[in-house]
Amino acid sequence: MGIDEIALQLQGGEGPHTVGAIALISMSCVVGRFLFVTYARRMIRRAGIAVAYDLRQAVYGAVQHQGSEFFSHIGVGDIMTRAIQDIALIQRLIANGSVHFIIIIYAPLFAITFMSWKSPALTMLILPVLPILFGYAWWISREMAATSKVVQERLSDLSAHVQENLSGIRTVQAMAQEENEIARFWQTNDAYGVAFYRQARVQSLMSAWMPLFAGIAQLVILVYGGKLVLDDEMSVGDLVFFLFCLNMLLQPIRMAGMFITLVQRAIVGSRRLGEILEAEPEIADTPTRKTPDIITGAFELRDLSFTYPGASEPSLKSLNLVIEHGESIGIVGRVGAGKSTLLKLFTRMVDTPKGVLYIDGSDVCDFPLMQLRSQVAQVLQDPFLFGEPLRNNISYDEPGRRIDQVWSSADAAALRGTIESFPAQMETVVGERGVTLSGGQKQRTTLARGLIREAPVLILDDCFSSVDTETEEHILGRLKTMRGDRTTILVSHRVSTLRHCDRIVVLNEGEIAEVGSHEALLRADRIYAELERVQTQSGDRSQLDDLSTDEGLSPA
Amino acid sequence: MSETVPTIKKPALRRDHSMFEAELSGAVLNVHLFVRILHWLKPYKLILALSGVLVLLSSACTVLMEVVISRVLVDYIITGSQSQDAPQVEMPDLYMIDLTRWLENWLEMEPIYAAGVLFFVLMIGSTIVGHWHRLTLVSAIVHGLRDLRQDLFAHLEARPSSFYDNVAVGRVMTRVTNDVESLYEMLRGMGSLVGEFVPFFVALGIMLSTSVEMTLVLLCLVPVVGGATYLFRQASRETFRLVRNTVSALNQNLQENLSGMQVVQLSGREKRNLEGYTRINKTNRRYEYRSINLSIFYGAFNDTLASIGLGIIIWYGAGEALQQEMSLGGVILFTRFMTMLFNPVVALGEQLNILFRAMASGERIFQALDWDEQIHEPETPAVLPERLKGHVEFRSVDFGYDAETQILKDVSVVVEPGKRLAIVGPTGSGKSTMIRLLGRFYDFDHGMIFVDGVDVQDVFSSEVRRRIGVVLQDFHIFSGTILDNIVLGNPAVTRERAIEAAKTVNAHAFILRQENGYDTELVERGANLSQGQRQLLAFARVLAADPEVLILDEATASIDTETEILIQDGLRKLMAGRTSIVIAHRLQTIQECDHVLVLHYGEVKEYGSHEELLAMKGLYSTLHELQFQDVSLDEDGYAS
Repeated sequence: MGIDEIALQLQGGEGPHTVGAIALISMSCVVGRFLFVTYARRMIRRAGIAVAYDLRQAVYGAVQHQGSEFFSHIGVGDIMTRAIQDIALIQRLIANGSVHFIIIIYAPLFAITFMSWKSPALTMLILPVLPILFGYAWWISREMAATSKVVQERLSDLSAHVQENLSGIRTVQAMAQEENEIARFWQTNDAYGVAFYRQARVQSLMSAWMPLFAGIAQLVILVYGGKLVLDDEMSVGDLVFFLFCLNMLLQPIRMAGMFITLVQRAIVGSRRLGEILEAEPEIADTPTRKTPDIITGAFELRDLSFTYPGASEPSLKSLNLVIEHGESIGIVGRVGAGKSTLLKLFTRMVDTPKGVLYIDGSDVCDFPLMQLRSQVAQVLQDPFLFGEPLRNNISYDEPGRRIDQVWSSADAAALRGTIESFPAQMETVVGERGVTLSGGQKQRTTLARGLIREAPVLILDDCFSSVDTETEEHILGRLKTMRGDRTTILVSHRVSTLRHCDRIVVLNEGEIAEVGSHEALLRADRIYAELERVQTQSGDRSQLDDLSTDEGLSPA
Repeated sequence: MSETVPTIKKPALRRDHSMFEAELSGAVLNVHLFVRILHWLKPYKLILALSGVLVLLSSACTVLMEVVISRVLVDYIITGSQSQDAPQVEMPDLYMIDLTRWLENWLEMEPIYAAGVLFFVLMIGSTIVGHWHRLTLVSAIVHGLRDLRQDLFAHLEARPSSFYDNVAVGRVMTRVTNDVESLYEMLRGMGSLVGEFVPFFVALGIMLSTSVEMTLVLLCLVPVVGGATYLFRQASRETFRLVRNTVSALNQNLQENLSGMQVVQLSGREKRNLEGYTRINKTNRRYEYRSINLSIFYGAFNDTLASIGLGIIIWYGAGEALQQEMSLGGVILFTRFMTMLFNPVVALGEQLNILFRAMASGERIFQALDWDEQIHEPETPAVLPERLKGHVEFRSVDFGYDAETQILKDVSVVVEPGKRLAIVGPTGSGKSTMIRLLGRFYDFDHGMIFVDGVDVQDVFSSEVRRRIGVVLQDFHIFSGTILDNIVLGNPAVTRERAIEAAKTVNAHAFILRQENGYDTELVERGANLSQGQRQLLAFARVLAADPEVLILDEATASIDTETEILIQDGLRKLMAGRTSIVIAHRLQTIQECDHVLVLHYGEVKEYGSHEELLAMKGLYSTLHELQFQDVSLDEDGYAS
């Protein structure tokens, strides 16, 4: 600012005329400053916004290619916290920190130049303070990093706790656990408070010590410089000028604490983001040109074994199986037998090893991922719906479909009646902010989502569990005509479902125990036959027709 | 037959909370909001007061340090020793010169060293006191907000489950986390502003005493700043709203994409979804740019105003003062005062964005605290007997979630102590509603439900739920160990008892197979347990609590046959000797029960034992026959 010079000129003892002129000069400086500073600030803050934009894009792009392995390490809530809070920390560093940075670099540079020019001896006096300052800054920034990390972690805990609790609020209330939950929340809440206070203390110490060091430098110069003036070795003007320069030097040091905080927190943030951005995509998309463009649906499992990363036991052990084009295959087995794993290998939702699974004679790994997943349509066990209209949910892979195509797949999934009962019909928004569907309705919607794709291969992972048997029969009947000579693979626990298949594969502890038609397997009188007996005799698995329901205390 | 789960609620409860965002007033300054925040700071008012005193002290030290440099060092010691002509306009020295003289005599040292000592003491004072000021301030705010968060959480816990039928958990959650965070930023900022105002008033006072006229001219700038702030707020309100909306749209999009990642990948939607996200992200960036244009213009305007103020002082005041020959130290001090005068104004401008954001957050927090949906609790609660016999009676219960649709019509049934009742009926027939009413999840006006002869509406809802064991379809696993999940904070349940319960319901074996047995940490929502295992755990949890009355909503989820057998066996043991009301989906479960109640469109159609109902050849037997028909198909050619 021009004030320093004005004051300097003032002490030169010139008259009020000059003061007027100086005021004018300073006014034009103000205008210039207004323009420059405004522009510069705008650029810097725009840069912050632009970086946040880029980071968000990068995070979104990165998670799109991750699989279950990745999400088991970093949960959805955690990724959300990182995408919101940690990006904000980096944005803040750019928007606010870069200004600090420029001041911290420039101001001392100018100040020291001027000071050495006026009095090298006096300048030397403050030099010993600088290493102490830097040493302290280095040390405290490490403290800052440690405490910031704890704060970020406690914050994640806090969010997770609230999210988890509110998601299960019905159980909490049904079990009368409110008091306990509130007491438990107190611990998380208080832990965050404590961590936060610790961080604030380090921050405050920093804001106390840094200016103190600066002040000591100031004191030494004042006393020593004053002595010089008194001894007539220095002019008063020089001392005053020196003091102004010193202020220029020390001001950024006072601000350094804030800067260090910004930097440290941004470092913590960027590390956490790095874990997302630098994670290798689990499934490598390295297609070769030799694969056919259209999959016809003949599968071959050649000595297929699969072990999840980090698991000690293989989930699947040397499976050998040929699935002909147009066959319908049922897969059955108890929990942990490897059914879902096998299905995931077909669409490479897990990292399928090379040379174990062939489609139409080509290794599944050689197909472009997009082609594989568009021509092998898979319906998952967990009926996930997006908070969008039913139409978008059903025609999810290709939003541009005609409405009659959407309706006909809804028909095939026995969903027409349900949809017609809603006032908005196909435009009915489902999910948290829309109509709540029952489990069966959800399953049938996801089924429609799979059917609409008319893919050469259809894989159904136990997606009739909440659908009553009668409706299921109806759907399976339609499916037979619809699918014609296309390959269908389905997992089910119900013998009543499985018997519709050409062949049934019984998985047991990761191995194929039996393969054959319903009749053949019954004749073989082994696991499948036993299953059939248990289910028919006790009426165990078969739910009461028409009594099947998904209406619980919580709207499903 | 429609399968639609009723989502319509009682009119009083019927509020779409997702729309609440739009209801936020966005007022320019909401005084009411501050008053409400103060409520949570009240317990810490002594600490806050102390913090206030400390900031006064430390700021005073800072101001005095300036005085020591300018007036004592430059004027008294250096210039004073060189020239003897006293200036006509004397800037105050706030007794610092006298203090230095006194120090000189007391310590018997040269004036310059005495000034050094004085400066040092003030510096240490300002440092230490400043540190304590910050600590006390942060401590009061952190504790106050922690309490606010706790109260907010407790308030949310107390909302009835019907309330959560209509709200998105994510949106409620951010009020407890992010919104409270922004309040911290605001309070902390306001706290440090106080420190800026001390030098402001000192400077103002001294300037006033120097030149009233000049000070008044300067004060004219205050309404200009105020007006600019108001205009800025008006102009930016819409933009800020758009920024907020796009940010929440971004988060929602990301969250949904993450939750449905498998579907996204299987549908090959990665690219399209990224495009959709990019669109929102771009829109957000556009609004963000627009909002900084405004706020930067505002900041620059404030800065300029400060500089104009300086110009006025130099032009008006300094010129005048210099004509009367102000001392050199006086001039230095004068320039320092100018900075002190305008610092708080600039700082206020910088705080403004934080302030606005915090106000929006504050509104959301208090809006959540104002959600008042609740279950009606009795004024003079009845007390349930120490040990229930387990007699449950529904007497002519009518209920509908809204005025038009009646879900239960004149439902009456008596369950004798220790008896088991199966409720069957198509979806939407009101089975779940019956047990919701028994668990006091909804209020009802017509009819009564008695437990051991006590009307449940006369008992605190929490008391009812504590005494009745409930197993829901949707098992919620709390994070913690397996043991924690069985004990659920119940002091009566010891480790031995929990293990005993787990053994009884066949959960022991799979628990032992876990890495650390009973001490295995479970992740959120029990993702590392299978459906069947979770159900067994839920049985163990209820059995350990040993309630006299058991409500069970049987899960329909697909479970492999072997686990199914374990579950059926566990269920049998769980119900043994306990009054049980079961929404049954499996034939075998129904056969375990003493009586079956067939519900159809909210009415009790049939009631009796399994055999009696079969003999009646009514609704139940039709349903039952359908079942057998299905089985006989299976048996084609393989009749056993």
